[in-house]
Formats: sequence, C-alpha cells, structure tokens
Amino acid sequence: MNPLDRTLVTVAASALVLHVVFLALAAWRAWRGENSFDRLIGLDLIGILTLCVLVLFAILSEAWPALQANANNAILIDIALGLAALSYLSTIALAKYMVDHKMF
Amino acid sequence: MQIPEIILKSTAILLILLGSLYSSLGMLGLVRFPDVYTRLHATGKISAFGAVFLLGAAIAVLPELTIFKGLILILFLLLASPVVAHTISSAAYKSGLPLAQSGRDDLAEHLPRASGKDI
Repeated sequence: MNPLDRTLVTVAASALVLHVVFLALAAWRAWRGENSFDRLIGLDLIGILTLCVLVLFAILSEAWPALQANANNAILIDIALGLAALSYLSTIALAKYMVDHKMF
Repeated sequence: MQIPEIILKSTAILLILLGSLYSSLGMLGLVRFPDVYTRLHATGKISAFGAVFLLGAAIAVLPELTIFKGLILILFLLLASPVVAHTISSAAYKSGLPLAQSGRDDLAEHLPRASGKDI
C-alpha cells in the first residue's frame, strides 16, 4: 500500500466517522426540536447525511484492500440515488401537509 | 503507479476534504443558529456542496461508477436542495412561525399568515 492510498483511506475513514457523528446530531435535532419545522429540517438532514455515508463507504471499500471482498461498490451509489429521491419527495409532502393540514 | 491514477486519487482526497469542510460548517450552523429560517440557510450548504463534493470524489475513485450516473445524482441534488429549503421556509412562514429578529418584513402585506399557535 503506497502513501497516496494510505492517505486516501485515512481521509475517507475520518470523513466517514465525522458524518456518522453529524448523523447523530441531526437525529438529536429531529428528536428534540423546538417546533415541527425544526424536526422536519432534522429529518431531511438525516436523508442527506445517510447519502454522504453511503458514498464515503463506497470510496473506502474501493481504496482499502481489507474491505474489497465485494467487487461491485457502485451499487451503493444506486442506493444513494433512490434514497435522495425518496427523501426529497417525503420532505416536500410533509412540509405541504404541515402548512395545509391536508395532502392534496 | 500511473500518472492519471495519482491525479485522480489526489483530486479525490481534496474533494473529500472540501465536502467535509462544508458539512462541518452546515452542522455548526444547525446547532448554533437561533431560527428555523437561518438554520435552513446553513443546512442547504450540506446538500448543495457537501454531498456534491463527496460524489465528485466517488466519480474520481470508483471505476464501476460511470460518469453519467454520478452527474445525474449531482444534478438531482443541485436541483432538489433549493426546492426543499424554499418549501420548508415557505411552509414555516405561512403557518406563522416567528422570526428570531423581527425587523422589517416585506412579505407581510402580500402573503397571509396563520396565527402560529398550532406548530
């Protein structure tokens, strides 16, 4: 393992840990928010940060030889695409429901 | 080690660092800002810059990920993040959530607001 690969693995692993900590912070905001819109921000942020964690795990399992058991890491990016679409739709539907008190 | 591989991996390291910096600034704003509207301003940075830079790093590193799929996801994120921020802040304003520093409010004579009791 050359120094560039080792730097990439170190940076990706630290960013992964950082984003998991951020995920806990967003969950705290969604659990103990001041009002319902504050909690909605937390829920939207949980979706985005889960996307970041999936992308970082795909990078890490590509660059780290200890994690290269499964060859196709790009399938995590497909999961991230579906997650982004679902998070977007659910956030907009919940915000519209909160202000209008009806869905359609 | 080939020259293009060195360039791609260095770019990926730089992009991961940039994305983590933007995510940290956004989370700092989420914790420290006093208001829903200002917090939305901070958290918009996470989805518009943090996730997009991380996806750029993934395009540079992953060989199975074609550039079209990554660009589709980046384009979707860049389209979705302002729409989500606008929808949440518009819903909060319409249901009467008070602003932290209530100075001048130009929307008050154009948009009806609820009382803000039931949020």
